Formats: sequence, C-alpha cells, structure tokens
Amino acid sequence: MTKLTVITPAGESRAVEADPSTSLMEAIRDAGIDGIVAECGGTAACATCHVFVDEAAQAALEPADEHEEGMLEFAAVEATAASRLSCQVRVADLPEGAVVTLPDTQL
Amino acid sequence: MPRPLPVIDDVSLAEMYDDPYPIYARLRQEAPVAWLAPANIALITRFDDMIAIERDDETFPANDPRSLQIRSMGHSLMRRDGAEHASERAVLVKSFSPPMVKSHWSPLFREIADELVGDIAPRGQGDLFTDFAAPMAARALAQIIGIPETDWRDLLWWSQALIDATGNYADLPEPWERCARASEGIDAAIDHHAALWAKAPNPSALSAMVAAGWPIERIRADIKVIIGGGLNEPRDSIGTVLLGLLSDAAQLEAVKADPALGRKAFEEAVRWVAPIGMYPRRVARETVLSDTVLPAGTAIGLSAASACRDESHFGESAGRFDMNRPKAQHLAFGSGPHFCLGTWMARSMVGDIAVPALLDALPELRLDPQNPPRMGGWVFRGPLSLPAIWSPK
Ligand code: FES
Repeated sequence: MTKLTVITPAGESRAVEADPSTSLMEAIRDAGIDGIVAECGGTAACATCHVFVDEAAQAALEPADEHEEGMLEFAAVEATAASRLSCQVRVADLPEGAVVTLPDTQL
Repeated sequence: MPRPLPVIDDVSLAEMYDDPYPIYARLRQEAPVAWLAPANIALITRFDDMIAIERDDETFPANDPRSLQIRSMGHSLMRRDGAEHASERAVLVKSFSPPMVKSHWSPLFREIADELVGDIAPRGQGDLFTDFAAPMAARALAQIIGIPETDWRDLLWWSQALIDATGNYADLPEPWERCARASEGIDAAIDHHAALWAKAPNPSALSAMVAAGWPIERIRADIKVIIGGGLNEPRDSIGTVLLGLLSDAAQLEAVKADPALGRKAFEEAVRWVAPIGMYPRRVARETVLSDTVLPAGTAIGLSAASACRDESHFGESAGRFDMNRPKAQHLAFGSGPHFCLGTWMARSMVGDIAVPALLDALPELRLDPQNPPRMGGWVFRGPLSLPAIWSPK
C-alpha cells in the first residue's frame, strides 16, 4: 500500500492507504472522500477528477499527455502546473507520502 | 431478505410516452428496481443504483446478444465492454475532445446557427423544433461524422429509422424495412467520403476511423450509432432549453443579458428532461440492487430521466427547470466508460452557440399562446413541436 495525504475541498487533511494497482481517482473515491466526481469512470472524458499534486509527485510522474493537458483546460477550477486528471495517474507511480489537493469543485 | 423483482403491469407504454415522470416518481418510492411488464425490461429508477451499475460492467455489461441495436445497426462500441470498448473509443476521442470542439467545431456551429437564424428571422413565427433545432443538429452532425455532402434531411430520416428499429420490440416488419433502406443510404455515404478522407484526413469521426484502418463493418456500425445517438439529443436539448427559458421570464432575461449563461441553461435542461430517457444493460450474474434480486440474464433499462429527477439528489424541486439550482452531477450523459462521447460537442453547440444566437437574433421571441408546445417520449424524450412568435426583422 502507498501512503498518501489528501487535502479535501473543506481543507481537511486525510490519510489514505492507497492500493498501487488502482488509479489515484479510484483510491480517493474508494476512501470515501468527497470532492471527486469522475463522471466518465476514468476514461479521461469528463475532467471531473481534477487534482493538484505536490512537487515530489510532479517530479516522479510522467508528464500529462496531450489529451490530458487539453482536458485539464476545461476543468471547473482553473488548472495549474500541479494539475492532473487523477484517473490518469497510477498510485504505483506516486512517491510514498505524496500530498494531493482537491479543487473546490469539479462541476 | 432481498425481495423478488416486483412486477409493474398497471402502466401502459402510451402513458409513459405521454408523461413518464409521475410513474417514475412512484417507482423510485415503491419499486426502484421493477419488472416493467409492457416493455419487458427491469427498470432502474434511482440515481445511486445507476451509478453503481455503471461502475461494474462485469455484472452489468452493455453487450447483449439479444440487442435490437446490434440487429439494426451492427455491433458498435456502444454494445461492447472492457478493454475492447476502450480501445475502440480511444480512436474517436480526439474528434470529440473539448480542445477540438473549441478550435475546430465551434466556428462551424456558429456559421450554421447564424445561417438558420437569418433564414427564420423575417418570418415572425415558426416551429422552433422543426425550423431551427432539427436542421441545426442535423447539419452539424453531417460535419462531425464526416459525411458533409449528405443532405441534412436524409440524416434526419436515417436517424429516425435507426432509432425506430432499435425500439422495435414488437418486431413489426415495417421498421426493419425502413432501417434497411436507411442503412443502404448511410453505407453509400460512408464509402464515398471514406475514399476522400483516406487521401485528405480531417478531424471528423469517419476520418479518424479510416486512419485507424478499421474494417468496414466496424466503421458502418459506429457511424450508425453516432447517427442514431447524435441527432436527437442535440435537437431535443435545443428544444428543451428553449421551452424551459421561454416558460420562465426571469431565466430568459438572464440568458439574454449574459449569453455565457446558455451553458448553464443547457446543463439544467438535459437534467430536467434527459434526451436519452432510458438505455439498456444486461445482468450477467445474479445480484441485489435496492434490496431487490436481479436474476442473471435479466434485461435492464437504466432510466436516466428518472435518476435526473431523483429527490434524494435534486430535492423536492427536481421537476422544475431552474438553472440556478446548486450545481450537482446529473446522469443525462450517463456515467462510467460509456459517458456520452458528444458531451462537449453538445455543450458548445447547444449551450454556447445555438440557443444564445437564437435569443439574440429574434426580438421578443415567445411561445405561441394559441398553439401550446407538445412533448413526447420516454426512451427518447423531447419536444415534438415548439410553435413560437417573434417580431419579424
Ligand atoms: S474520471 Fe473523467 S476525466 Fe478522469
């Protein structure tokens, strides 16, 4: 299991033990944390699984591909350099202890 | 103990066509998972059950060998599951992606909308459904699919023929015959245009399929499913947004004053009256949903229309068109891997362009008080007519 910290839209910090075989979107959703909508079920078609990842995670992850970049422009909260679609990030690729912040809204 | 599937045999499909919403309200309360005898399916009417189903395509696959859609259109991606579905869909994603919509398709939608509005403005009256919504959706679809030389009126009847065959549960001969004629026309349009795009690719869906080297059977089936699913929905949603706004002066004035609100009005309109009211899945292994047993093999219908009015998500005002309600996920585009491919296309075409263009160009546009609008349908639902008057210009 990978230990992550998720900062909820309400600003609470939640510890999550994430299964490395899932996506970050599934890990947050399955931990029962509100703030991910994931309308398209992880197919990079809805931009409602937007998250901000910390610098350690940014350094460890492959950068977003062209499609993910394009989708992020249409997220409800404006994307930054830290933005990812959580459905396109595998927990296995995240560093232990990574901090993931949820935007105020996904819709 | 979970209960066996309750049977609902005291409603008729004619009643459902007329106005399914009171029936859905009753089912959500009393029998959210129920065998709807006149349609021969188990109908799922609660929001949370629909989400659970779309998250589990092993228990609830989209593929069903009995599917009338497969019989009428061929086996398209809409009836495939898992990795096979994902790789097929991936070929089409770029054509329908929001950046492509913004850079390539929106300018085209704007041209079509301006031309149509220019045509009807001097008339002072007309049916916004047949004179505006239908040609808007059909002309845009011919471009998106990649068969631009096709007459939009052909596209309109082809789409209806495919849909009627897909819903031909009574197995009448006439819908099958009409579907066969439509298929001939569609296959000819595909052959003609596929040869063009093989030499000169473009952002259309057909061009993407040709570039991916798909076998012709797959191209035909997927183009047909896009024709069947890509015409009614934008057309009906244009009509529904207009109906919602023209029935509520405050919301109408708000969108006129700020056309950017068109998108909000669109999103609320499809929640209010989901254009695809119901779509099928199959139960692959016995399971329990809302405390009701669903035996393996059961054909189920997911009522997006009902889920979009589920009180537990949208409160007691769920039946009202109110674009100012708190933002919340709705299920008009479905959810999960089959989430509507045309979502971003429709948001732009209907919400950003067609509706604001019409409101801007027709001063004092209002519903015709002599001729009330008509709505119909439960599998697909939308306006049947939308008579309106305005000051000619
Ligand atoms: S879940 Fe839809 S884009 Fe990630």
